[in-house]
Parts: sequence; structure tokens; C-alpha cells
Amino acid sequence: MTELLQAVILGLLIGGVYALMASGLTLVFGVMNIINVAQGAFLIFVAMVTWWLWKHTGIDPILASVITTPMMFGLGWVLYRTVIVRIRGSSPSMSVLLTFGLALTIEGILNITAGNKFKSATPSYFEESFRVGDISLPKSQVYGFLAAMLVLAVLYVVLTRTWMGRAIRASSQNPSGAALVGVGATSTAALAFALGASTSGVGGSILSVLYPFFPASHYDWISRLLGIIVLGGMGSLPGALVGALVLGLAETLTATYGSLRWATLVFYVVILAVLLFRPQGLFGTRLREDVAV
Amino acid sequence: MTDQMSHPAPPQPPRLRTTWRAGRRLALLGTATCAALLLAACGGGSAPGSSGGGGDSAAAKDTPITIGISLPLTGDFSQPGGEAKRGYQVWADMVNADGGVLGRQVKLKIVDDASNQDTVVADYTKLMTQDKVDLVLGTFSSLLNFPASAVAEKNGYVFVEPAGGAPNMFSRGFEYLFFAQPATAPHQADVFVDYVKSLPADKRPQTAAYPTQDDPFTRPVIESMQKQLEALGVKTVFSQVYPADTTNFQSIANTLKNKKPDLIAQGAVFEDGVGLVRSLKQLGYTPKALFQTSAPSNAGQYSDGVGAANTEGVFYTVSWNEQAKTPLNPEFVAAYGKAYDAALPAEDAADAFAAAQVLQKAVEATKGVDQDKIKDWLHANEVQTILGPLSWSAKGEPQGDFILAQWQSGKVQVVGPADAATSETIVYPKPPWS
Repeated sequence: MTELLQAVILGLLIGGVYALMASGLTLVFGVMNIINVAQGAFLIFVAMVTWWLWKHTGIDPILASVITTPMMFGLGWVLYRTVIVRIRGSSPSMSVLLTFGLALTIEGILNITAGNKFKSATPSYFEESFRVGDISLPKSQVYGFLAAMLVLAVLYVVLTRTWMGRAIRASSQNPSGAALVGVGATSTAALAFALGASTSGVGGSILSVLYPFFPASHYDWISRLLGIIVLGGMGSLPGALVGALVLGLAETLTATYGSLRWATLVFYVVILAVLLFRPQGLFGTRLREDVAV
Repeated sequence: MTDQMSHPAPPQPPRLRTTWRAGRRLALLGTATCAALLLAACGGGSAPGSSGGGGDSAAAKDTPITIGISLPLTGDFSQPGGEAKRGYQVWADMVNADGGVLGRQVKLKIVDDASNQDTVVADYTKLMTQDKVDLVLGTFSSLLNFPASAVAEKNGYVFVEPAGGAPNMFSRGFEYLFFAQPATAPHQADVFVDYVKSLPADKRPQTAAYPTQDDPFTRPVIESMQKQLEALGVKTVFSQVYPADTTNFQSIANTLKNKKPDLIAQGAVFEDGVGLVRSLKQLGYTPKALFQTSAPSNAGQYSDGVGAANTEGVFYTVSWNEQAKTPLNPEFVAAYGKAYDAALPAEDAADAFAAAQVLQKAVEATKGVDQDKIKDWLHANEVQTILGPLSWSAKGEPQGDFILAQWQSGKVQVVGPADAATSETIVYPKPPWS
């Protein structure tokens, strides 16, 4: 019984972190029909920057997201203005190619600058736990989970309650209508892409504490994140949250009661099953066009 | 690329794994164009072998002994291939400074095979049949040594390889092949089993868990250890294989916590080893002994990853250690540091150095470069190297032992076999996590 409870708690905690990492991916797809395969590379890039900041200034890695989030917002904005904008209006598969190129570029740059070695930020709490009776709550995961919920809530508020969020949603639903009332399509898309990239600020910071990483680690993450948003319904923020929690649980329970071999396969099995039986994903029908409602 | 055949325990996360992952991920993304893009990107690194001119043929007393080597200096194995090159180079420089071999200077003719099986075959064929080098030395990884050793066998060249311990290397009945490491994968944990045997029966671990990554260099080690320990009466309570992209080790730790094994022996490449140690601490379970295959040998990266205090008592086995008290080892470490910015040699460099030592001893003992005499001598004799004494079965399999190492007070100590040990103390049982 303790084993089961522990497994469920671990699964939910890791699911929260997965949700945070997937939120930027689903946001960018929902608004712009862009599948940003480079999101995983953004995470690793942020993890690397976080590690560097932690190593050289001693700043807490998770707090460092105060620095990395605006940094990624800026980087996302520049990337959109200079690169992504060129494929506006093309099919989503073009965006896969382009952002995959971006991911390879980021990986290559990290290889040259940071070296092909594993890094991990290890603040004092990285391998410690809160204990409640026999149950362990790993501190880094708890902090990660809380940060994830905070970021998701902020994202939700930004998209539904601010002018910027309304502009983003308006231009995704009806670009010409939005343009007529003064919403610039390109500048809004740049904001949306920047917002999506900025979520990797917190995600990457947490990643640097949770797992050792090296430049090519992004392949593991992007494939997992795609599984999550396919399950949740591509473009749906609540879908990403539910998908992430379900898959976090499924991974942990499979590892505990099934076989370790199947635990990481769960993500891909889910992609197959969703495509076969419910191609729009769990939250896909209602929320296809609108990311936050 | 098949992962069936490459090299054990690369000291740094090598590029080859990166590339497998890239391939797998892309398949999953299901975008064929992406795969094409990746191939294009990966192909960019290859460069043709640089062959210098010239046939150094007949062996006069004042002409150098030419040794032909093809190495993966670019491509997937470029990182370990580069280390092997350094190892060979340091050996040649040391030998030449000391008057050469049989009074003749040594000249290395190293070409690049770009980590490609076809190129390595072409390289060695050219070295043996056109350049007519006096001797050859092996390349890096089983993948490349497999076809390269066949070229050597056909041309009657002794082939001492610094890497390439996959079991199928030795099932072909080759006579000219010699693997210059102390043991093939299934025997790499024997020295740890010997240690367990040396404990009084009531002190031995009674139960054991064997999680291992699905990797050609960790699985045979762990599976063979499991068999040997079961024969000793150690009960197996957990034995599972996990895929390379596993990141979540908390669930494994949770399972282990409930099974309470005395010994946890993990087939860990790197980040999985770090992940399990962290998770065991997070879940609050300390086994009496913790063994991991190669993760703990990546000295700095491992202690950074798990936290220096958490390394205490972790066992691993390795072909070489910079502190091991084997003949010429300190000189090798010093010469390597002098040549390469005070860096510590990687295991791959040490293995290459040892392969060259093997060939050198045989040439000196047979007083010439007659391949058949060298081959017969190596089959009949034991050779002292920086890895310890090496000797071979008729198939070229080494008959020795790996080194048993243990993290103690934040440092690596060699604790077995006794004649190589740098510390008398062995930390057992493992103290609880700090």
C-alpha cells in the first residue's frame, strides 16, 4: 500500500514537471500551428545556462528562472522575427523541419561551447526529500511541481485576461478580423512564440536540478513532450496538464508494477493509441483553435 | 549502427550514443524528411583518411619500424578514437626517447577511417598490401575491429586491439587476434565476485538486485555477475533491464526500497547511475553494497552528479586506473600530462598504450617483426602492461582481471586485486546516505 501511494505521488510530481515543459509546445502549436521541435533544445539550453549561473554565482537554480525566463522570451522573439517568420502560412511539417534544424544548431553550439559532458546543478536540496510517515517527497520535484503550477496559472491568466493574450487568441482564430481591429499579425505571433519559449525558462531550470543533462539530451525530452500534447490535444493548455499528469502516473506505475522496459514506451504507445482512436486528443475537440478556454 | 559492437565504458558520454538517440527519436517523430536532414548533418563530419606517401618496406637496421594504424578520428567514435591516438603517440614518443625497439626508431602511420567499417577495411588493406608496414595495431570499438581483424588474419598480420571485447570477436577462431584488455565483458565483474567470495559467509550480502541498462557493455557484466553470485547462494530479489532513455529512477528506487536487497548491482552507463543513487537517497534506502559498472569511473562528472558525499563506498570495475601500481603506469600518466596540457589520460588512451606495449614486448622477445613468431610468442607468454599482466586464450581472449575500484572519502581507490591496490581499507557495509 505504501509502495502504491509512493508511486502515485512520484508520478503526479513528475507529471507536473512534464506539464510545465509541454506547455510552451502546446501554446505555440495552438496559436500558430507551429510544431516547435526545438522546445527540447530550449530546455537543455536553459539548463546549461542555469548550471553555469549556479556554478559561478551560487544562485539557486530554480530561482535562476527569474533570469532565464525573460532571456528565453527575448530569444524566442528574435528567433521568430528572424527565422520562424519566413515559414508563416506554410504547413506545420515545414515548421518541424525548420525547428529541427534549430534544435540541431543549438545542440551543436552547446557541444562546442559547453562540451559533450554531463552537467547537473546540485543545490543543497537536490537529493533530499520531505518525509511524511513512510512516504518520501523529493524536494526538487516538489519545488518543480509548485513552480510548474504557478507558471501554468500565470500563462492561463495572461492568455485570458490581458490585452496581449486576447490579441494572441484573436489572431489565431481570425487573422484578418484581428488585423482589421489593429492587431498586427506578425508582432502578435512573435509575442506568442516568445511566450512559448519563455516557459522553457522555468522548465529548463528545474531540469538542471532533476536530471544530469548534456547537449543531446533534448531528443529524450522532445519525444516525451510530443506524447503529452498529443494525448492532451495539440494546442490545449489544460490538455497538456492532464496529459502530463496521466503520463507521469502511467510511467511510474508501469515501472513499479509492470516492467521497466515498458515504462518509457508508454509515451509512444499513447501517441499510437490516440492517433488510432481519438486523433484530436483528450481535449482536442472543443479547444482546437483556442488554447486557453 | 548496431550497438552490438562497440567499446565498453567510454569515459565521457560519447557521440555515438547521441547519434543512436537522434536516429531513434526521429523515427518516432515520424518525419522522414527529418531523418534525411539528420543523415545529411551527421555525414558532414566525415573526412577521408589522410594517407601520406611512401612504401616503407624492407627492414634495415637503421630504418624505422613502421606501425600502421587506422583510427576513427572523425565521426561517431572520434572522441575515444582521438584518445586512442594519444595513447599510441605517447607510447611511440616514450619508446623512441628510450632508443626505440630493437635499436630502431618507431614510426606510427595513423590514418582516419571516419568510424566507417568499409573505410577501416580499405585502410588496413592498403597499410598491409601497398604500404607494407612492418606491424599493425588495432583500431577502436568492436564495430571497427571486427572487419579490421579479418583483414589482418587474411594477410597474416598480428592484430593487437586496444578495444573490441564483444564476444563474437572471439568466435571466429582467429589466430592473429589479441585483445589487449584484461577481460571481455562477461568477466569484467569477476574481481567483485571474488571480493564477495572472500567475505565470511555471514558477512556476505544475502540478497541482491540487478537493474541494468539495455546496453551491450553493461548487460553481459551484470548478467554474468548475477549468475556467479547466485551460485554462491546470493538470492536474487530483482532483475530488470531498462531502456537507455529512462530518466525516472525514483520508481526503481521505490521498488528496491520495498525489496530491501543487501547488494544493488547496476549496469549503469552514466546518467542512469547518477539517477539511481539520487533516487535511492531521496527515498531513503541504503543497500549494504552498491556496485555500478561504468558510471562511477567518470570521476568528476560522477561525483558532481551524485554529490561527493554520496559516492562513499560505491564499487566499480575498470580496465585501468591512473593510480594503479602497475609497471610504467606513473611514467605513462606523467608523459601524457606533459604532452596534453596536464590532462589525465582517458581509459581509452591507456588501453591503446597497453596494446602497443604488448606488441613491443613480443617484437623484442622474438627479435624481429616476423608475424608468425610474434603470434606464437604471444600465445605462449604473459605480458606486463600498464593494465597489469595480460595473457590470451587460443582465440585471443584475455585471461586476466579488471581492477576493482571503490569511492572512499571523495576519492577513487583501487581495492583489488591485491597487488594493484592503493588502499587496504574496503568500505563495507556502505554507510547510510549522509
